Amino acid sequence: MPRVSLEWTNGRRETVPARPGERTLEAAEGSGIDLPFGCRIGVCGTCTGRVLSGEMRHVESPRGLRERDSRDGYVLTCIAVPSTDCTVEVGTDVRARLFENPWR
Amino acid sequence: MSTHTADSHGEEGHSHHETVGPGYATPQAAIEQSERERVAYVVGLYTGTDVDAPDFLAVVDVDPDSGTYGEITDRIEMPTKGDELHHFGWNACSSSCHMEGLERRYLVMPGNRSSRITIVDTENRAHPEIVRVIDPEEVHELDLSAPHTVHCPTGGGVMISMLGNAEGELPGGFLELNEDLEIEGRWDLPGEIEMNYDFWYQPRHNVMISSEWAAPETYQPGFDIEDVEAGKYGHRLHFWNWEEKTVEQTVDLGEEGMVPLEVRFLHSPEATHGYVNAALSSNIFHFFEADGEWHAEKVIDFEGRDLEGWEMPVPALPTDILVSMDDRYLFGANWLHGEVWMYDVSDPANPRHADSISVGGYFGDVREVKGRELAAGPQMVQLSLDGERLYWTTSLYSTWDDQFFPEEKENGSVMLKADVDPRRGTMTLDEEFLVDFGDLPDGPARAHEIRWPDGDCTSDVWQ
Ligand code: FES
Repeated sequence: MPRVSLEWTNGRRETVPARPGERTLEAAEGSGIDLPFGCRIGVCGTCTGRVLSGEMRHVESPRGLRERDSRDGYVLTCIAVPSTDCTVEVGTDVRARLFENPWR
Repeated sequence: MSTHTADSHGEEGHSHHETVGPGYATPQAAIEQSERERVAYVVGLYTGTDVDAPDFLAVVDVDPDSGTYGEITDRIEMPTKGDELHHFGWNACSSSCHMEGLERRYLVMPGNRSSRITIVDTENRAHPEIVRVIDPEEVHELDLSAPHTVHCPTGGGVMISMLGNAEGELPGGFLELNEDLEIEGRWDLPGEIEMNYDFWYQPRHNVMISSEWAAPETYQPGFDIEDVEAGKYGHRLHFWNWEEKTVEQTVDLGEEGMVPLEVRFLHSPEATHGYVNAALSSNIFHFFEADGEWHAEKVIDFEGRDLEGWEMPVPALPTDILVSMDDRYLFGANWLHGEVWMYDVSDPANPRHADSISVGGYFGDVREVKGRELAAGPQMVQLSLDGERLYWTTSLYSTWDDQFFPEEKENGSVMLKADVDPRRGTMTLDEEFLVDFGDLPDGPARAHEIRWPDGDCTSDVWQ
Protein backbone atom coordinates (compact mmCIF):
# COMPACT_ATOMS: atom_id res chain seq x y z
CA MET A 1 0.00 0.00 0.00
CA PRO A 2 1.60 3.30 -1.03
CA ARG A 3 1.98 5.90 1.65
CA VAL A 4 1.31 9.52 0.85
CA SER A 5 2.96 12.29 2.83
CA LEU A 6 0.97 15.49 2.71
CA GLU A 7 2.80 18.76 3.25
CA TRP A 8 1.22 22.15 3.75
CA THR A 9 3.04 25.41 3.13
CA ASN A 10 2.66 26.28 6.83
CA GLY A 11 4.77 23.28 7.80
CA ARG A 12 1.99 20.85 8.74
CA ARG A 13 2.75 17.24 7.73
CA GLU A 14 0.62 14.10 7.72
CA THR A 15 1.17 10.67 6.24
CA VAL A 16 -1.74 8.53 5.08
CA PRO A 17 -2.02 5.07 3.49
CA ALA A 18 -3.70 4.75 0.08
CA ARG A 19 -5.46 1.55 -0.92
CA PRO A 20 -4.65 0.28 -4.42
CA GLY A 21 -6.33 2.57 -6.93
CA GLU A 22 -7.45 5.02 -4.27
CA ARG A 23 -7.35 8.71 -5.17
CA THR A 24 -5.18 10.96 -3.03
CA LEU A 25 -8.09 13.17 -1.90
CA GLU A 26 -10.08 10.11 -0.83
CA ALA A 27 -7.10 8.54 0.88
CA ALA A 28 -6.63 11.70 2.94
CA GLU A 29 -10.32 11.89 3.78
CA GLY A 30 -10.25 8.21 4.74
CA SER A 31 -7.70 9.12 7.40
CA GLY A 32 -9.77 12.04 8.60
CA ILE A 33 -7.69 14.70 6.87
CA ASP A 34 -9.53 17.33 4.89
CA LEU A 35 -8.04 18.74 1.73
CA PRO A 36 -9.59 21.44 -0.46
CA PHE A 37 -11.86 20.25 -3.27
CA GLY A 38 -14.72 21.38 -5.49
CA CYS A 39 -15.88 19.28 -8.45
CA ARG A 40 -14.07 16.00 -7.57
CA ILE A 41 -13.97 15.15 -11.28
CA GLY A 42 -10.73 16.82 -12.37
CA VAL A 43 -12.18 20.06 -13.74
CA CYS A 44 -12.07 22.92 -11.23
CA GLY A 45 -8.49 22.86 -9.96
CA THR A 46 -9.50 23.49 -6.32
CA CYS A 47 -7.70 20.32 -5.18
CA THR A 48 -4.40 21.07 -6.94
CA GLY A 49 -1.31 19.67 -5.24
CA ARG A 50 2.32 19.25 -6.27
CA VAL A 51 4.23 15.99 -6.20
CA LEU A 52 7.60 16.56 -4.53
CA SER A 53 8.71 12.93 -4.68
CA GLY A 54 7.30 9.65 -5.90
CA GLU A 55 4.81 9.06 -8.71
CA MET A 56 1.14 9.65 -9.25
CA ARG A 57 -1.05 9.08 -12.27
CA HIS A 58 -4.32 10.72 -13.16
CA VAL A 59 -7.16 8.24 -13.69
CA GLU A 60 -8.97 10.72 -15.94
CA SER A 61 -7.77 13.58 -18.07
CA PRO A 62 -6.82 16.43 -15.68
CA ARG A 63 -8.88 19.14 -17.39
CA GLY A 64 -8.38 21.60 -14.55
CA LEU A 65 -4.61 21.57 -14.99
CA ARG A 66 -2.63 23.27 -17.76
CA GLU A 67 -0.10 21.08 -19.54
CA ARG A 68 2.87 23.11 -18.34
CA ASP A 69 1.71 22.79 -14.72
CA SER A 70 1.28 19.07 -15.19
CA ARG A 71 4.86 18.85 -16.46
CA ASP A 72 6.00 20.75 -13.38
CA GLY A 73 4.59 18.06 -11.12
CA TYR A 74 1.23 19.57 -10.27
CA VAL A 75 -1.63 17.09 -9.85
CA LEU A 76 -5.35 17.17 -9.17
CA THR A 77 -5.61 15.17 -5.97
CA CYS A 78 -9.25 14.25 -6.68
CA ILE A 79 -8.20 12.11 -9.66
CA ALA A 80 -4.54 11.36 -8.86
CA VAL A 81 -3.66 7.88 -7.66
CA PRO A 82 -0.23 7.24 -6.12
CA SER A 83 1.75 4.48 -7.84
CA THR A 84 4.59 4.65 -5.31
CA ASP A 85 5.13 6.26 -1.93
CA CYS A 86 4.73 9.96 -2.53
CA THR A 87 5.21 13.36 -0.96
CA VAL A 88 2.65 15.94 -2.12
CA GLU A 89 2.40 19.59 -1.32
CA VAL A 90 -1.26 20.44 -0.56
CA GLY A 91 -3.51 23.31 0.53
CA THR A 92 -5.13 26.14 -1.39
CA ASP A 93 -1.87 28.10 -1.77
CA VAL A 94 -0.62 25.52 -4.25
CA ARG A 95 -3.28 26.31 -6.86
CA ALA A 96 -3.21 30.01 -6.11
CA ARG A 97 0.44 30.40 -7.06
CA LEU A 98 -0.26 28.99 -10.54
CA PHE A 99 -2.54 31.91 -11.39
CA GLU A 100 -1.21 35.40 -11.03
CA ASN A 101 -2.69 38.76 -11.74
CA PRO A 102 -2.07 38.89 -15.52
CA TRP A 103 -1.92 42.68 -15.77
CA ARG A 104 0.41 43.52 -13.00
CA MET B 1 -42.26 18.27 -0.37
CA SER B 2 -44.54 20.23 -2.59
CA THR B 3 -44.08 23.82 -3.62
CA HIS B 4 -47.84 24.22 -3.68
CA THR B 5 -49.45 24.94 -0.36
CA ALA B 6 -52.86 26.12 0.59
CA ASP B 7 -51.50 28.39 3.30
CA SER B 8 -51.09 32.05 2.69
CA HIS B 9 -47.90 33.84 3.60
CA GLY B 10 -46.85 34.27 7.18
CA GLU B 11 -47.32 37.57 8.90
CA GLU B 12 -44.33 39.06 7.11
CA GLY B 13 -45.67 38.05 3.71
CA HIS B 14 -47.07 40.53 1.26
CA SER B 15 -50.83 40.33 1.19
CA HIS B 16 -52.25 43.54 -0.18
CA HIS B 17 -52.26 42.99 -3.88
CA GLU B 18 -54.68 41.67 -6.39
CA THR B 19 -52.58 38.77 -7.58
CA VAL B 20 -53.42 35.28 -6.36
CA GLY B 21 -49.93 33.82 -6.73
CA PRO B 22 -46.42 34.97 -5.79
CA GLY B 23 -45.08 38.42 -6.52
CA TYR B 24 -46.78 41.46 -7.93
CA ALA B 25 -49.07 42.25 -10.85
CA THR B 26 -46.67 44.74 -12.44
CA PRO B 27 -43.22 46.22 -11.76
CA GLN B 28 -44.92 49.38 -10.45
CA ALA B 29 -47.04 47.23 -8.12
CA ALA B 30 -43.82 45.74 -6.75
CA ILE B 31 -42.60 49.24 -5.90
CA GLU B 32 -45.89 50.31 -4.32
CA GLN B 33 -46.86 47.16 -2.46
CA SER B 34 -43.58 45.72 -1.26
CA GLU B 35 -42.45 46.47 2.25
CA ARG B 36 -38.93 47.47 3.11
CA GLU B 37 -36.56 44.49 3.11
CA ARG B 38 -35.87 43.23 6.65
CA VAL B 39 -33.92 40.13 5.82
CA ALA B 40 -31.33 39.55 3.10
CA TYR B 41 -30.25 36.12 1.96
CA VAL B 42 -26.59 36.20 1.02
CA VAL B 43 -24.36 33.44 -0.27
CA GLY B 44 -21.30 32.85 1.92
CA LEU B 45 -18.49 30.53 0.97
CA TYR B 46 -15.40 28.73 2.15
CA THR B 47 -14.61 26.80 -1.02
CA GLY B 48 -11.03 27.47 -2.04
CA THR B 49 -9.91 28.53 1.42
CA ASP B 50 -8.30 26.36 4.05
CA VAL B 51 -11.26 26.86 6.36
CA ASP B 52 -12.63 23.38 6.74
CA ALA B 53 -16.35 24.12 6.50
CA PRO B 54 -19.11 23.99 3.89
CA ASP B 55 -20.49 27.05 2.08
CA PHE B 56 -23.62 28.55 3.60
CA LEU B 57 -26.66 30.72 3.13
CA ALA B 58 -26.37 33.73 5.42
CA VAL B 59 -29.46 35.37 6.87
CA VAL B 60 -28.56 39.03 7.25
CA ASP B 61 -30.63 41.40 9.36
CA VAL B 62 -31.20 44.57 7.32
CA ASP B 63 -33.96 45.97 9.53
CA PRO B 64 -32.66 49.20 11.08
CA ASP B 65 -35.18 48.86 13.92
CA SER B 66 -33.79 45.50 14.95
CA GLY B 67 -31.22 44.96 17.69
CA THR B 68 -29.19 42.77 15.34
CA TYR B 69 -29.19 45.19 12.38
CA GLY B 70 -26.26 44.52 10.08
CA GLU B 71 -25.51 41.14 11.64
CA ILE B 72 -25.53 37.64 10.22
CA THR B 73 -28.26 36.12 12.37
CA ASP B 74 -28.23 32.58 10.99
CA ARG B 75 -26.11 30.44 8.68
CA ILE B 76 -27.56 27.48 6.85
CA GLU B 77 -24.62 25.21 6.09
CA MET B 78 -24.66 23.20 2.89
CA PRO B 79 -24.53 19.43 3.39
CA THR B 80 -21.10 19.06 1.77
CA LYS B 81 -18.01 21.19 1.36
CA GLY B 82 -16.69 22.47 -1.95
CA ASP B 83 -19.86 23.74 -3.63
CA GLU B 84 -18.78 27.30 -4.47
CA LEU B 85 -22.23 28.75 -4.02
CA HIS B 86 -22.47 31.64 -6.47
CA HIS B 87 -25.84 32.69 -7.87
CA PHE B 88 -29.16 31.36 -6.58
CA GLY B 89 -32.86 31.96 -7.09
CA TRP B 90 -36.46 31.35 -6.19
CA ASN B 91 -38.90 28.59 -7.10
CA ALA B 92 -41.43 31.24 -8.14
CA CYS B 93 -41.54 34.93 -8.98
CA SER B 94 -43.96 37.45 -10.41
CA SER B 95 -44.10 35.52 -13.70
CA SER B 96 -46.43 33.18 -11.78
CA CYS B 97 -48.45 35.88 -10.02
CA HIS B 98 -51.66 34.42 -11.49
CA MET B 99 -50.88 30.90 -10.19
CA GLU B 100 -53.00 30.28 -7.14
CA GLY B 101 -51.28 28.37 -4.36
CA LEU B 102 -47.77 28.87 -5.65
CA GLU B 103 -45.45 30.63 -3.20
CA ARG B 104 -42.08 32.32 -3.42
CA ARG B 105 -40.66 30.16 -0.71
CA TYR B 106 -37.89 27.81 -1.85
CA LEU B 107 -34.38 28.93 -2.69
CA VAL B 108 -32.59 26.91 -5.32
CA MET B 109 -28.88 27.03 -4.51
CA PRO B 110 -26.49 25.61 -7.08
CA GLY B 111 -22.88 24.73 -6.32
CA ASN B 112 -20.99 26.05 -9.30
CA ARG B 113 -17.98 23.76 -8.74
CA SER B 114 -19.72 20.74 -7.27
CA SER B 115 -22.82 20.71 -9.54
CA ARG B 116 -24.82 19.92 -6.38
CA ILE B 117 -28.14 21.79 -6.08
CA THR B 118 -29.54 22.39 -2.61
CA ILE B 119 -33.14 23.42 -2.00
CA VAL B 120 -33.80 25.63 1.02
CA ASP B 121 -37.24 26.27 2.47
CA THR B 122 -37.63 29.85 3.73
CA GLU B 123 -41.06 29.42 5.31
CA ASN B 124 -39.37 30.50 8.51
CA ARG B 125 -37.64 33.57 7.16
CA ALA B 126 -35.24 33.94 10.03
CA HIS B 127 -34.24 30.27 10.06
CA PRO B 128 -34.56 28.63 6.64
CA GLU B 129 -34.00 24.88 6.33
CA ILE B 130 -32.54 22.56 3.73
CA VAL B 131 -35.28 20.29 2.39
CA ARG B 132 -33.71 18.61 -0.62
CA VAL B 133 -30.36 17.98 -2.22
CA ILE B 134 -29.87 17.13 -5.89
CA ASP B 135 -26.60 15.22 -6.20
CA PRO B 136 -23.98 16.01 -8.84
CA GLU B 137 -24.40 12.56 -10.38
CA GLU B 138 -28.03 13.32 -11.28
CA VAL B 139 -26.91 16.49 -13.02
CA HIS B 140 -24.00 14.81 -14.82
CA GLU B 141 -26.39 12.17 -16.15
CA LEU B 142 -27.92 14.84 -18.37
CA ASP B 143 -24.43 15.69 -19.63
CA LEU B 144 -24.46 19.00 -17.75
CA SER B 145 -22.37 20.61 -15.01
CA ALA B 146 -21.56 23.93 -13.34
CA PRO B 147 -25.04 25.34 -12.60
CA HIS B 148 -25.28 29.11 -12.59
CA THR B 149 -28.39 31.31 -12.99
CA VAL B 150 -31.73 30.21 -11.56
CA HIS B 151 -34.95 31.58 -13.07
CA CYS B 152 -38.49 30.40 -12.42
CA PRO B 153 -40.58 30.46 -15.58
CA THR B 154 -44.35 30.58 -15.17
CA GLY B 155 -45.97 27.58 -13.62
CA GLY B 156 -43.72 26.47 -10.80
CA GLY B 157 -40.71 24.87 -12.47
CA VAL B 158 -37.19 26.20 -12.39
CA MET B 159 -34.62 26.62 -15.12
CA ILE B 160 -30.87 26.77 -14.49
CA SER B 161 -28.12 27.75 -16.93
CA MET B 162 -25.36 25.13 -16.97
CA LEU B 163 -21.90 26.14 -18.08
CA GLY B 164 -20.47 22.78 -19.05
CA ASN B 165 -21.13 19.19 -20.00
CA ALA B 166 -20.53 16.30 -17.61
CA GLU B 167 -16.79 16.53 -18.32
CA GLY B 168 -16.62 20.23 -17.46
CA GLU B 169 -16.09 21.02 -21.14
CA LEU B 170 -18.36 22.60 -23.73
CA PRO B 171 -21.20 22.66 -24.60
CA GLY B 172 -23.26 23.91 -21.69
CA GLY B 173 -27.03 24.01 -21.69
CA PHE B 174 -30.05 24.40 -19.45
CA LEU B 175 -31.43 22.20 -16.68
CA GLU B 176 -35.10 22.13 -15.77
CA LEU B 177 -36.53 21.28 -12.34
CA ASN B 178 -40.20 20.39 -11.96
CA GLU B 179 -42.55 22.12 -9.55
CA ASP B 180 -41.47 19.78 -6.75
CA LEU B 181 -37.92 20.98 -7.48
CA GLU B 182 -36.72 17.60 -8.69
CA ILE B 183 -34.88 17.18 -11.96
CA GLU B 184 -37.27 17.30 -14.89
CA GLY B 185 -34.68 17.03 -17.62
CA ARG B 186 -32.66 19.06 -20.01
CA TRP B 187 -34.46 22.09 -21.41
CA ASP B 188 -32.50 22.59 -24.61
CA LEU B 189 -31.29 20.27 -27.30
CA PRO B 190 -27.51 19.89 -26.92
CA GLY B 191 -25.62 21.92 -29.49
CA GLU B 192 -27.79 25.03 -29.69
CA ILE B 193 -25.05 26.89 -27.85
CA GLU B 194 -21.48 26.19 -26.82
CA MET B 195 -20.74 28.63 -23.97
CA ASN B 196 -23.29 29.70 -21.44
CA TYR B 197 -23.56 31.95 -18.40
CA ASP B 198 -26.58 34.07 -17.49
CA PHE B 199 -30.02 34.30 -19.11
CA TRP B 200 -33.20 36.34 -18.96
CA TYR B 201 -36.52 35.71 -20.65
CA GLN B 202 -39.25 38.12 -21.73
CA PRO B 203 -42.31 35.93 -22.31
CA ARG B 204 -44.46 38.53 -24.03
CA HIS B 205 -41.90 38.75 -26.81
CA ASN B 206 -41.19 35.02 -26.77
CA VAL B 207 -37.50 35.68 -26.31
CA MET B 208 -34.76 34.46 -24.03
CA ILE B 209 -31.24 35.86 -24.08
CA SER B 210 -28.22 33.92 -22.89
CA SER B 211 -24.64 35.14 -22.43
CA GLU B 212 -21.19 33.52 -22.35
CA TRP B 213 -18.43 33.06 -19.79
CA ALA B 214 -16.30 30.01 -20.65
CA ALA B 215 -16.11 26.25 -20.09
CA PRO B 216 -15.81 25.20 -16.43
CA GLU B 217 -12.40 23.64 -17.18
CA THR B 218 -11.31 27.10 -18.40
CA TYR B 219 -12.65 29.57 -15.82
CA GLN B 220 -12.78 27.42 -12.68
CA PRO B 221 -9.06 26.88 -12.01
CA GLY B 222 -8.32 30.60 -12.50
CA PHE B 223 -8.09 33.38 -15.07
CA ASP B 224 -5.35 32.91 -17.67
CA ILE B 225 -4.95 35.61 -20.31
CA GLU B 226 -3.68 32.94 -22.72
CA ASP B 227 -7.14 31.40 -22.64
CA VAL B 228 -8.56 34.71 -23.84
CA GLU B 229 -6.06 34.78 -26.70
CA ALA B 230 -6.91 31.16 -27.50
CA GLY B 231 -10.59 32.08 -27.91
CA LYS B 232 -11.72 30.19 -24.85
CA TYR B 233 -13.72 33.11 -23.44
CA GLY B 234 -17.12 34.19 -24.71
CA HIS B 235 -18.20 37.31 -26.62
CA ARG B 236 -21.63 36.46 -27.97
CA LEU B 237 -25.28 36.87 -27.03
CA HIS B 238 -27.81 34.25 -28.02
CA PHE B 239 -31.40 35.20 -28.71
CA TRP B 240 -33.66 32.21 -28.24
CA ASN B 241 -37.18 31.47 -29.34
CA TRP B 242 -38.46 30.93 -25.80
CA GLU B 243 -41.23 28.53 -26.72
CA GLU B 244 -39.40 26.58 -29.40
CA LYS B 245 -36.20 26.40 -27.28
CA THR B 246 -34.02 27.17 -30.26
CA VAL B 247 -31.47 29.91 -30.88
CA GLU B 248 -32.83 32.21 -33.56
CA GLN B 249 -30.06 34.75 -33.63
CA THR B 250 -26.53 35.07 -32.28
CA VAL B 251 -24.92 38.47 -31.99
CA ASP B 252 -21.13 38.60 -31.79
CA LEU B 253 -20.06 41.53 -29.59
CA GLY B 254 -16.48 41.28 -30.84
CA GLU B 255 -13.35 42.51 -29.08
CA GLU B 256 -15.22 45.18 -27.18
CA GLY B 257 -17.70 42.63 -25.88
CA MET B 258 -15.46 40.09 -24.18
CA VAL B 259 -17.11 38.00 -21.46
CA PRO B 260 -20.70 39.28 -21.51
CA LEU B 261 -22.09 38.29 -18.12
CA GLU B 262 -25.36 39.49 -16.57
CA VAL B 263 -28.35 39.79 -18.88
CA ARG B 264 -30.77 42.38 -17.48
CA PHE B 265 -33.95 43.05 -19.36
CA LEU B 266 -36.05 46.07 -18.49
CA HIS B 267 -38.87 44.89 -16.20
CA SER B 268 -41.82 46.19 -18.17
CA PRO B 269 -43.28 43.12 -19.89
CA GLU B 270 -43.66 45.27 -22.99
CA ALA B 271 -39.99 46.25 -23.15
CA THR B 272 -37.65 45.05 -25.88
CA HIS B 273 -34.55 46.59 -24.32
CA GLY B 274 -31.92 45.35 -21.93
CA TYR B 275 -28.26 45.50 -20.97
CA VAL B 276 -25.34 43.16 -20.61
CA ASN B 277 -21.94 43.85 -19.04
CA ALA B 278 -18.95 42.78 -21.11
CA ALA B 279 -16.84 42.37 -17.98
CA LEU B 280 -13.42 41.77 -19.50
CA SER B 281 -13.73 44.58 -22.07
CA SER B 282 -15.21 46.87 -19.39
CA ASN B 283 -18.12 47.92 -21.60
CA ILE B 284 -21.89 47.88 -21.22
CA PHE B 285 -23.98 46.85 -24.22
CA HIS B 286 -27.58 47.80 -24.89
CA PHE B 287 -29.57 45.11 -26.72
CA PHE B 288 -32.88 45.83 -28.37
CA GLU B 289 -35.24 44.69 -31.07
CA ALA B 290 -35.69 46.70 -34.24
CA ASP B 291 -37.05 45.64 -37.63
CA GLY B 292 -37.76 42.15 -36.35
CA GLU B 293 -34.12 41.58 -35.36
CA TRP B 294 -32.10 41.85 -32.19
CA HIS B 295 -29.16 44.23 -32.05
CA ALA B 296 -26.48 45.01 -29.46
CA GLU B 297 -24.58 48.28 -29.23
CA LYS B 298 -21.91 49.47 -26.84
CA VAL B 299 -23.34 52.30 -24.75
CA ILE B 300 -20.94 52.67 -21.82
CA ASP B 301 -17.17 52.36 -21.99
CA PHE B 302 -15.12 52.36 -18.80
CA GLU B 303 -11.53 53.43 -19.43
CA GLY B 304 -8.63 51.62 -17.81
CA ARG B 305 -6.62 53.59 -15.26
CA ASP B 306 -2.87 53.71 -14.76
CA LEU B 307 -1.51 52.40 -11.51
CA GLU B 308 2.07 52.13 -10.38
CA GLY B 309 3.34 48.60 -10.55
CA TRP B 310 0.89 47.55 -13.25
CA GLU B 311 2.18 46.84 -16.73
CA MET B 312 -1.04 48.01 -18.30
CA PRO B 313 -3.94 50.21 -17.25
CA VAL B 314 -6.14 48.54 -14.66
CA PRO B 315 -9.43 47.60 -16.33
CA ALA B 316 -12.63 48.59 -14.50
CA LEU B 317 -14.05 45.05 -14.68
CA PRO B 318 -17.79 45.77 -14.37
CA THR B 319 -18.79 42.33 -13.13
CA ASP B 320 -22.42 42.95 -12.22
CA ILE B 321 -25.27 45.20 -13.32
CA LEU B 322 -28.98 45.52 -12.56
CA VAL B 323 -31.97 47.56 -13.72
CA SER B 324 -34.12 49.30 -11.09
CA MET B 325 -37.71 48.08 -10.85
CA ASP B 326 -38.99 51.29 -12.45
CA ASP B 327 -36.63 50.73 -15.42
CA ARG B 328 -35.21 54.19 -14.88
CA TYR B 329 -31.66 53.36 -13.75
CA LEU B 330 -28.95 50.91 -14.59
CA PHE B 331 -26.75 50.19 -11.57
CA GLY B 332 -23.43 48.39 -11.67
CA ALA B 333 -20.12 47.71 -9.99
CA ASN B 334 -16.55 48.10 -11.25
CA TRP B 335 -14.83 45.49 -9.16
CA LEU B 336 -11.18 46.35 -9.84
CA HIS B 337 -11.52 50.13 -9.87
CA GLY B 338 -13.74 50.16 -6.77
CA GLU B 339 -16.87 51.96 -7.89
CA VAL B 340 -20.63 51.54 -7.84
CA TRP B 341 -22.46 53.62 -10.40
CA MET B 342 -25.93 54.50 -11.59
CA TYR B 343 -26.87 55.58 -15.09
CA ASP B 344 -30.17 57.12 -16.11
CA VAL B 345 -31.59 54.84 -18.82
CA SER B 346 -34.87 56.65 -19.42
CA ASP B 347 -33.57 56.86 -22.99
CA PRO B 348 -32.36 53.24 -23.21
CA ALA B 349 -30.00 53.75 -26.14
CA ASN B 350 -28.27 56.69 -24.46
CA PRO B 351 -27.46 56.02 -20.80
CA ARG B 352 -26.52 59.14 -18.88
CA HIS B 353 -24.19 58.97 -15.87
CA ALA B 354 -26.14 59.97 -12.78
CA ASP B 355 -23.85 59.23 -9.84
CA SER B 356 -21.04 57.02 -8.56
CA ILE B 357 -19.44 56.08 -5.26
CA SER B 358 -15.72 55.43 -5.18
CA VAL B 359 -15.18 52.67 -2.61
CA GLY B 360 -12.70 49.81 -2.18
CA GLY B 361 -10.86 48.21 -5.08
CA TYR B 362 -7.63 49.66 -6.48
CA PHE B 363 -8.82 53.27 -6.71
CA GLY B 364 -11.70 53.73 -4.28
CA ASP B 365 -11.62 56.92 -2.19
CA VAL B 366 -13.30 55.18 0.73
CA ARG B 367 -10.78 52.69 2.16
CA GLU B 368 -12.63 51.61 5.29
CA VAL B 369 -16.15 51.47 6.67
CA LYS B 370 -16.77 51.40 10.43
CA GLY B 371 -13.07 50.79 10.92
CA ARG B 372 -13.05 47.74 8.66
CA GLU B 373 -10.42 47.96 5.95
CA LEU B 374 -11.69 47.36 2.43
CA ALA B 375 -9.82 45.45 -0.25
CA ALA B 376 -11.92 44.25 -3.19
CA GLY B 377 -14.25 46.69 -4.89
CA PRO B 378 -18.02 46.35 -5.15
CA GLN B 379 -19.06 43.20 -6.98
CA MET B 380 -22.57 41.63 -6.73
CA VAL B 381 -25.22 44.35 -6.41
CA GLN B 382 -28.84 44.20 -5.25
CA LEU B 383 -31.36 47.02 -5.06
CA SER B 384 -34.39 47.35 -2.80
CA LEU B 385 -37.67 47.03 -4.69
CA ASP B 386 -38.43 50.70 -4.10
CA GLY B 387 -35.06 51.64 -5.57
CA GLU B 388 -33.86 53.49 -2.48
CA ARG B 389 -31.17 51.20 -1.10
CA LEU B 390 -28.35 49.58 -3.03
CA TYR B 391 -26.40 46.77 -1.34
CA TRP B 392 -23.31 44.96 -2.56
CA THR B 393 -20.77 42.30 -1.66
CA THR B 394 -17.13 42.05 -2.70
CA SER B 395 -16.21 38.50 -3.81
CA LEU B 396 -16.26 37.57 -7.50
CA TYR B 397 -15.24 33.93 -7.65
CA SER B 398 -12.86 32.19 -5.26
CA THR B 399 -10.06 31.48 -7.72
CA TRP B 400 -10.34 34.88 -9.40
CA ASP B 401 -10.42 36.70 -6.05
CA ASP B 402 -7.09 35.07 -5.26
CA GLN B 403 -5.53 36.69 -8.32
CA PHE B 404 -6.83 40.22 -7.85
CA PHE B 405 -7.76 40.59 -4.19
CA PRO B 406 -6.15 37.78 -2.16
CA GLU B 407 -7.34 39.69 0.94
CA GLU B 408 -10.83 38.26 0.36
CA LYS B 409 -9.51 34.86 1.42
CA GLU B 410 -7.57 36.15 4.41
CA ASN B 411 -10.07 38.70 5.74
CA GLY B 412 -13.39 37.71 4.19
CA SER B 413 -15.85 39.85 2.23
CA VAL B 414 -18.02 42.73 3.33
CA MET B 415 -21.57 43.71 2.47
CA LEU B 416 -22.08 47.44 2.12
CA LYS B 417 -24.98 49.75 1.34
CA ALA B 418 -25.72 53.08 -0.27
CA ASP B 419 -28.86 55.16 0.07
CA VAL B 420 -30.27 56.10 -3.31
CA ASP B 421 -32.43 59.07 -4.18
CA PRO B 422 -34.18 57.94 -7.36
CA ARG B 423 -35.82 61.33 -7.84
CA ARG B 424 -32.50 63.17 -7.92
CA GLY B 425 -30.40 60.33 -9.28
CA THR B 426 -27.91 60.36 -6.40
CA MET B 427 -26.30 57.84 -4.09
CA THR B 428 -24.69 58.20 -0.67
CA LEU B 429 -22.60 55.56 1.06
CA ASP B 430 -24.18 54.52 4.37
CA GLU B 431 -21.12 54.70 6.59
CA GLU B 432 -23.01 53.08 9.46
CA PHE B 433 -23.82 49.89 7.56
CA LEU B 434 -21.33 47.03 7.46
CA VAL B 435 -21.83 43.28 7.39
CA ASP B 436 -18.45 41.70 8.02
CA PHE B 437 -18.10 38.19 6.61
CA GLY B 438 -14.59 38.19 8.01
CA ASP B 439 -15.89 37.83 11.51
CA LEU B 440 -17.50 34.38 11.66
CA PRO B 441 -17.00 31.44 14.01
CA ASP B 442 -15.48 29.14 11.35
CA GLY B 443 -13.26 31.83 9.89
CA PRO B 444 -13.43 34.56 7.23
CA ALA B 445 -15.85 33.83 4.38
CA ARG B 446 -16.44 35.28 0.93
CA ALA B 447 -19.87 36.72 0.12
CA HIS B 448 -21.55 36.73 -3.26
CA GLU B 449 -25.16 37.11 -4.46
CA ILE B 450 -27.89 38.85 -2.39
CA ARG B 451 -31.66 38.15 -2.57
CA TRP B 452 -34.77 39.47 -0.81
CA PRO B 453 -37.58 37.18 0.40
CA ASP B 454 -40.18 39.22 -1.48
CA GLY B 455 -38.52 39.37 -4.83
CA ASP B 456 -35.89 41.59 -6.32
CA CYS B 457 -34.74 43.48 -9.36
CA THR B 458 -32.70 40.56 -10.67
CA SER B 459 -35.23 37.75 -10.44
CA ASP B 460 -38.69 39.05 -11.18
CA VAL B 461 -40.06 38.72 -14.71
CA TRP B 462 -43.60 39.52 -15.85
CA GLN B 463 -45.65 37.37 -18.16
S1 FES C 1 -11.81 18.93 -6.98
FE1 FES C 1 -12.09 19.89 -8.88
S2 FES C 1 -10.30 19.30 -9.96
FE2 FES C 1 -10.19 18.18 -8.14
